[in-house]
Amino acid sequence: MIDTASQANGIEAVFGPGGQIDSVLQAGDWAFVAANWEYLLAGTVVTILLTITSLSLGFLAGFPAGAIEVYGSGRLSDAVSTFGVLLRGTPIVVLVVLFHFGLPLPRLGSIPWLEINLTAFLSATLALGLRSGAYQSQVFRGAIQSIDDGQLEAARSVGMSTRQSIRHVVFPQALRRSLPGFQNEFTIVLKDTSIAFAIGLAELLTRAENLYLQPGKGTAVMEVILTITAIYFVLTFATNRSLDALHDRYSIPGGSE
Amino acid sequence: MSLLRFENVSKSYGDEEVLHDVSFELDAGDVEVIVGPSGSGKSTLLRCVNRLTEIDDGAIYLDGEDVHAMDENALRRRVGMVFQDFNLFAHRTARGNVTLGLTEVLGLSEREATERAEQYLQRVGVADQAEAYPAELSGGQKQRVGIARALAMDPDLILFDEPTSALDPELVGEVLGVMRDLADDGMTMLAVTHEMGFARSVASRLTFLEDGRIVERGPPERLFEQPDHDRTREFLGGLTDLHR
Repeated sequence: MIDTASQANGIEAVFGPGGQIDSVLQAGDWAFVAANWEYLLAGTVVTILLTITSLSLGFLAGFPAGAIEVYGSGRLSDAVSTFGVLLRGTPIVVLVVLFHFGLPLPRLGSIPWLEINLTAFLSATLALGLRSGAYQSQVFRGAIQSIDDGQLEAARSVGMSTRQSIRHVVFPQALRRSLPGFQNEFTIVLKDTSIAFAIGLAELLTRAENLYLQPGKGTAVMEVILTITAIYFVLTFATNRSLDALHDRYSIPGGSE
Repeated sequence: MSLLRFENVSKSYGDEEVLHDVSFELDAGDVEVIVGPSGSGKSTLLRCVNRLTEIDDGAIYLDGEDVHAMDENALRRRVGMVFQDFNLFAHRTARGNVTLGLTEVLGLSEREATERAEQYLQRVGVADQAEAYPAELSGGQKQRVGIARALAMDPDLILFDEPTSALDPELVGEVLGVMRDLADDGMTMLAVTHEMGFARSVASRLTFLEDGRIVERGPPERLFEQPDHDRTREFLGGLTDLHR
């Protein structure tokens, strides 16, 4: 049986009688946030690192998976697409918890300043990365299929092998067409790193909670949460702008993309 | 020995026979123009030469060698192709379109390839567009880049699959002009085109294909003036009226 009474007491201990969150913004609570800037900065770094490792894993898994779904032999392509369906059909929180507690991951140490448990970081990367790979594969698959057959035919007709033609003609164009979808995925993964909260990885959201759960700091919930909200927003906004610039930089002159 | 020889070539897509027992041969330096109604098998015939389409029966010989016994990439290195829809590599400049085959297939260095590409772009009159991307070129310029791309590989033979059909009328001339120059330089060409002026003045032979069969083949003047078959007269007459 779950002891709901003592749970409620715990909430009251933090948030005061009635368990109400104090929604009044107070100068003292902002000062509390400011005093912990380095703690939140470290959390921001963890969030960024987790986004980068997850997206990279997602790309490394998703690009070949997309290519296999288009060019692969029946059995391999079926296996890849089944795996993708499973990953896309499972809630990300479930995946993170499943990977963290279900996979026999090695016990790794932690990084001092960042205060992260590397095992948790690894399981979060695997869950977010493979899930992103499952979505990225669909972005790449669609982009590859959108390249006109005449492109491949022209490459083959100058004597290039299928492999050379795909590598030098189809992929460079497909990658450019994937950028908008990839950009979307970037934003999703960045925001979804907050799900690592479920396994206690010290990223932004976990740290936010660690701050306002300190004895007597229950009044700072809003201030802390608004601060990390702003940080998430700045991060997504900045990456989107950078990817827009990248898109402009690599778009084909005169083309519609 | 003939450069290209079709020997009783047949090809079907499912129940539909698109080429029926086609035989003809072509010498080096010949310009063969193939005409025929839509669906007569003209494009299929071209595509069989470089094995973009595989034949069901018969044999095709390039310089005496059975093309089916050849490595298809080696074959395609020797047979250029120019497409109706240009099919220029959209992500590469005009020059980049020409250099890709040179570096990847012929193994030229980037510098050698660039020099050679410049030379061929010059030859088809688009040297000033070397840095432009396909989407920035006019149809006529695109097709000339397409010709330069095929030509730079130094092929034995170039296949032209309706090279002017996708062009605005005022741009047709510049592409035909390049093809005419190639013919004058002795390039062997097998072209599907309905440009009767070109066929009349440039082709060494004209082939009329219908329902996958060669109805009639011969010097263009004879097919235009005194064809053996009424069907040939009817078809060529119609085309000539259209293009008058």
